[in-house]
Amino acid sequence: MTSAERAAILAALNGPHVSAPTREALLARLDARYERRYFTEADFRVLRAAAVRLVPHDPDELDLTGLVDDRLHAGRTDGWRYAAAPPDGEAYRALLASLPADFAALDDCAQDDALRAAQGAHPHAFEDLLAELTEGFMAHPLTAYRFGYAGFMDVPGWQVAPDAFEEREVTYGP
Amino acid sequence: MAPERTGPVNAALPDLRDLDVLVIGTGAGGAPLLARLASAGLRVAALEAGVRHPPSGIATDEVAQAGLFWMDERLSAGGDPVGFGRNNSGRGVGGSTLHYTAYTPRAHPDDFTLHSDTGQGVDWPLTYADLAPYYDEVETFIGVSGPAEYPWGGERSGPYPHPPLPVNGAGLLMERACAEVGIRTSPAANAALSRPQEQEGFGLRPACSNRGFCQAGCSTGAKASLDVTFLALAEARGAVIVDGAQVVALLTEGGRVTGARFVRGGREETLHAGTVVLAAGAVETPRLLLMQGLANSSGQVGRNFMAHVGVQVWGLVDEDLRPYRGIPGGLISEDTHRIPGVIGGYLLQSLGVMPVTYATQFARGTGTWGAALTEHLRQYRHVAGINVLGDCLPYGHNYLELSAEPDARGLPKPRVHFTFGENERRMAAHAETLMRDLWARAGARDVWALPRAAHTLGTARMGHDPRGSVVDPWGRAHDTPGLWICDNSTFPSALAVNPALTQMALSLRTADALLSDLRPQQVTA
Repeated sequence: MTSAERAAILAALNGPHVSAPTREALLARLDARYERRYFTEADFRVLRAAAVRLVPHDPDELDLTGLVDDRLHAGRTDGWRYAAAPPDGEAYRALLASLPADFAALDDCAQDDALRAAQGAHPHAFEDLLAELTEGFMAHPLTAYRFGYAGFMDVPGWQVAPDAFEEREVTYGP
Repeated sequence: MAPERTGPVNAALPDLRDLDVLVIGTGAGGAPLLARLASAGLRVAALEAGVRHPPSGIATDEVAQAGLFWMDERLSAGGDPVGFGRNNSGRGVGGSTLHYTAYTPRAHPDDFTLHSDTGQGVDWPLTYADLAPYYDEVETFIGVSGPAEYPWGGERSGPYPHPPLPVNGAGLLMERACAEVGIRTSPAANAALSRPQEQEGFGLRPACSNRGFCQAGCSTGAKASLDVTFLALAEARGAVIVDGAQVVALLTEGGRVTGARFVRGGREETLHAGTVVLAAGAVETPRLLLMQGLANSSGQVGRNFMAHVGVQVWGLVDEDLRPYRGIPGGLISEDTHRIPGVIGGYLLQSLGVMPVTYATQFARGTGTWGAALTEHLRQYRHVAGINVLGDCLPYGHNYLELSAEPDARGLPKPRVHFTFGENERRMAAHAETLMRDLWARAGARDVWALPRAAHTLGTARMGHDPRGSVVDPWGRAHDTPGLWICDNSTFPSALAVNPALTQMALSLRTADALLSDLRPQQVTA
């Protein structure tokens, strides 16, 4: 995240168009980092490398792997799982175990080949992990800024016609 | 995922002895009834597993709003496993209406007579005419916005109380494409206000600001979730709502249900009442009953689980639509209410979408990952959606059972088996073909379809025959004195419309029946 990006995001979040609960949630997320507590160091390293291939991002900017680890450590769920699949943590461990031990050191092509095989062999765990990483990615204020998404600046509201914009909608983003 | 937000759980319970009625659940089943009973002067209280989520605390952020959903793990089995959590559940004072889209189409007269008309499915033990006065009352009270003349369905006694809400980008595209193929469209009926309305117990609800995050909670009170409508009225009329109260068992005495045991703030408590109304929804209601083997002499508890056919079709368009703006579904067509070769039919709605919901559905639905995923998501502002809501027949192979796996509270996780039947597959295929054609006409590219099941219905069906149903047509448990059920577990068939409005109407009807049972002299007078 460049200093210009950070400044633009903070200006929007602290501006008059963001409600207090929205501001609180997004400011807390902007620099959120998590200590590894659930996975082993080896598993965590594979998970982080896989996460970068699945949902391309810079782990120094977005701690998506830490988010997954933190959720599993806290025992939070998303409300359901496929009955045929083991609990999330076990399912993810099995998915990671199916990847080569030196996965993190492989080149991009070899990593993608291994992930494609894992998608076929562990479809439910792969889908759940992909969705979880995607959520973390899309919900991050930095992604919103880079995608020109201003929906969180909802005070006082929007016009809805495709050609009618508020200035803050048009100008937000790189 | 955010932890469940723990709003203020009022520390001590008020004196709740000598309750006439105890209601379990504060969603579309429990809330209207609670208000009706309180207004009639009964001593009533409701237990709600979730906490309060006042509009002023709602963030415009899907992850921060995860606390609106039932996040205790449920197990999804069968050929078309139903997702729960953020898809089909609710938790909080107001139940799933906190995050419903507030689509409020009425069921059609022929939705209640599917078996008579087709020989398949089941008939309801009541008619459209039985519900019509309650539909009128609910629409007026919660403030439904809609067109002056609605082109489909049964007779109405008058227009919608408020003019329609503005139609957003996806709606305009759908309108144009439907016109090309001769499908009629109309602004939808939606329980969000197009102009301010005074609401007893809450105050002035403002007009909708087109914020578009209805499915993550309304931050202004413009949307008619039950906390700002029927529950506000109920509390103004003396009802007590106990939030943060997870019911773990019904109390019984000599075969009669006399109250409930619940955990609140880590402590186990009990409440007794003359009558208990179970309104916990089509998953939690049968779970509670099955845990105790209650109200199940018919063997029907947990059976006939249904979920609407809910195929969505998405595409990218050149227009900068910004699908976060406006109510998600501004435009509707019910020209497909009956289609050849299929039992029942569906309605068609335009679709706005919040960013995280779209992104995770795209990832799950297409399995896309890597640069292809992020490149697609970068174009979120150009996403246009359209979907259907279709009937679903009850089947023996779709049911809820208790698993051997305990949840964090030590209760058995429910396992829900769901597989669409041949009829639903034909309906979904018909819908997908139609929507792909419409979206091609709208100029959409990268079009993809998400097969999906929406809403939880059935599992404690109503009927006249105690051998084949759990409750009678008003909600009385056939075989268990003191117990009523008032939620969408009682739906004998799915109906080809969103269930919330019908559920609210049924709730008022059940309340009237309960009142006449408790006060027979008033009925004869």
